[in-house]
Amino acid sequence: MSEVKVINGNMAAAMGACLCRPDIIAAYPITPQTPIVEYLADFVTGGRLGSSVSEVESELSAMSVCTGASLAGSRVFTATASQGLALMYEPYFRASTLRLPIVMAVANREMISPQTLWGGPQDSLTVRDAGWLQIYVEDNQEILDTLIMAYRIAEDKKVLLPINVCFDGFYLSHMSERVEIPDQESVDAFLPAYAPEHIILDPRRPMAVDPLTNGYLLTEYRLKHMMAQQNALKLLEAVDEEFGERFGRSYGGAVEEYRCEDADYVMVTMGSMTGVAKDCVDEARRAGKKVGLLKIRMVRPFPAERVARVLMGRKAFGVIDRNVSFGWNTGIIYEEVCASMNRAAAFVPNIPFIAGLGGEDITAEHIRYAIDEVMNHAEDSVKQDTVWLNREDKGR
Amino acid sequence: MNVVDKLAAYEDQISPGISACVGCNVELTLRTCMKVLGPDTIFAIPPGCMGGVGVVGWDKQSGAKTPVFFPLLDNVASMLAGIKMHYEHVGRKVNVVAFAGDGASVDAGMQCLSGAAERGDKLIYICYDNEGYMNTGYQRSGSTTKGAWTSTTPVIDGVGGKKQNKKDFPMIMAMHDLPYMATMSPAFIPDMVRKLERAMVESERGLVYLHVYNPCLTGWGCKSDESIEVSRLSVETNFAPLYEVGDGKFKMSVDVKNPKPVREFITRFKKFRHLTDEDIEALQALTDRKMKRLHELCKM
Repeated sequence: MSEVKVINGNMAAAMGACLCRPDIIAAYPITPQTPIVEYLADFVTGGRLGSSVSEVESELSAMSVCTGASLAGSRVFTATASQGLALMYEPYFRASTLRLPIVMAVANREMISPQTLWGGPQDSLTVRDAGWLQIYVEDNQEILDTLIMAYRIAEDKKVLLPINVCFDGFYLSHMSERVEIPDQESVDAFLPAYAPEHIILDPRRPMAVDPLTNGYLLTEYRLKHMMAQQNALKLLEAVDEEFGERFGRSYGGAVEEYRCEDADYVMVTMGSMTGVAKDCVDEARRAGKKVGLLKIRMVRPFPAERVARVLMGRKAFGVIDRNVSFGWNTGIIYEEVCASMNRAAAFVPNIPFIAGLGGEDITAEHIRYAIDEVMNHAEDSVKQDTVWLNREDKGR
Repeated sequence: MNVVDKLAAYEDQISPGISACVGCNVELTLRTCMKVLGPDTIFAIPPGCMGGVGVVGWDKQSGAKTPVFFPLLDNVASMLAGIKMHYEHVGRKVNVVAFAGDGASVDAGMQCLSGAAERGDKLIYICYDNEGYMNTGYQRSGSTTKGAWTSTTPVIDGVGGKKQNKKDFPMIMAMHDLPYMATMSPAFIPDMVRKLERAMVESERGLVYLHVYNPCLTGWGCKSDESIEVSRLSVETNFAPLYEVGDGKFKMSVDVKNPKPVREFITRFKKFRHLTDEDIEALQALTDRKMKRLHELCKM
């Protein structure tokens, strides 16, 4: 029997990981992820979880212990944020190129400088091209559920890739809300044990793992890695559907479409801002405005076809990014969305927004302002400058 | 069984034909270590000489018969810790071993190694100290002796060389209060074999650190047929003394009664050729001071 609890996002992540019964856990505490490490230590010490835990001295070692344990055949779990993710970049890249199905929660936090410790997905979005799968979630229930689905996807033979489940630091990590926690038997039935077959470090099956490799072979590795990412895109839809059948909750796969069917205008969001944005869409609908919302869940691989399919033919769309893409003068998701539209040979007038940096609140006023901009000004010019919310004149 | 018979009986875990320099005493060290550790071993060779000569492999060929892999330069001990944790978790006894150069151990990988030592990860960590990044053309490391020429501490018109003292890494590791720490030399194979055998036992309690002083013929400028002779001189001059520490108890493994002057060792290499008498006297004084400290520790 499942049970209902009021828990914060970090507890949802810890409980989600716990239900997946990782063999090895190695994590280094960093704000705002720290409680995950503490909760897991409690679970193990209290006998609720049978994992072996490494109390590592850094995130570099956290990812390295996970890499070694996964190479030897263990199911592993870790979690980090921000500077911690930056410190683990070297083994992070390698975990994906070794095709190790490591699951890592990220309690998203801004990158310094200036010195900051508040929420924002700049940390994991910056490393989106390191070969991992990345899913961004909206609330605490979705954290827990997505972690369980993450192992299914990562460990599938057609995928074999590590995966990040990313959630906004503080807004989710430290906010408590209702979460339904599935029972262990149901999760066990959904998620079979992991048994690696591709590479392994085991004296019973001696092999040299990752010798110096020529470019012609490396090219094959990259090609197959990319194919595996595309397989994950398909698999996410199927796993999400199966999860829905078993547990009564599903999330739309790689994206969630909210009131998009007859929408003339669509707002693209990601992460915890989606909650307030949905409220604003409802409000706009009540006022007779045909507005819908597209929540991006999977960023790697980017669901380009679905995004283009949802957006093409609309009068206009807006993308609200809680991050920046240096050099493009926009947010990262905006560029991904534009690339998707370009690939589909579709153009729709649009406006890029940047909001909520450094943990600044994204309020209903901001979203209302953004909807208004999209409805009234998207067609003003083909090339729109980014609208920076949270600045004095924009929706405050 | 004596050491010669023992080594003859053990299977070589390293393939013939790896491309180490002629006379390389690191190759001898690796072969000896892996023979003693045996086939139930997983070992890591980070970027460095033994990685470069094809022990992990090149393309589709491998230089090892036991499971082997390239860790990163800076995560050797923690990657191994993960592997060892897996085998402990499933209840199988496997030797999990690092064979890493001084760059990967005393410089870039020091944090991970110190962390694994403190946590008591049950690894056998072997550092082959050839005093620099020899595989990439002899750049200085934290383990390079003061005064030495390297490609990043060049000597021009007799002036230059490394300005700082060598990091005393075996002593740093001993101060982690490990179950076992020992220094080894390719000129003292029976001593090496004994220490490896003890390491396999002691590593069931925590991390065992073994430090091998390996003069690099190519990088330091020395004849290939003098490989073992100069290695022996490093011990006989007390420049790289052989000692071991078990649970905090220091003990000389080879107590040199009448040590030869340090000059006899360092004048065998081109990398010290520019040193003045004063420089050599300073190295002698440093060696004497460190030896005195070591003897004091042995009395405790």
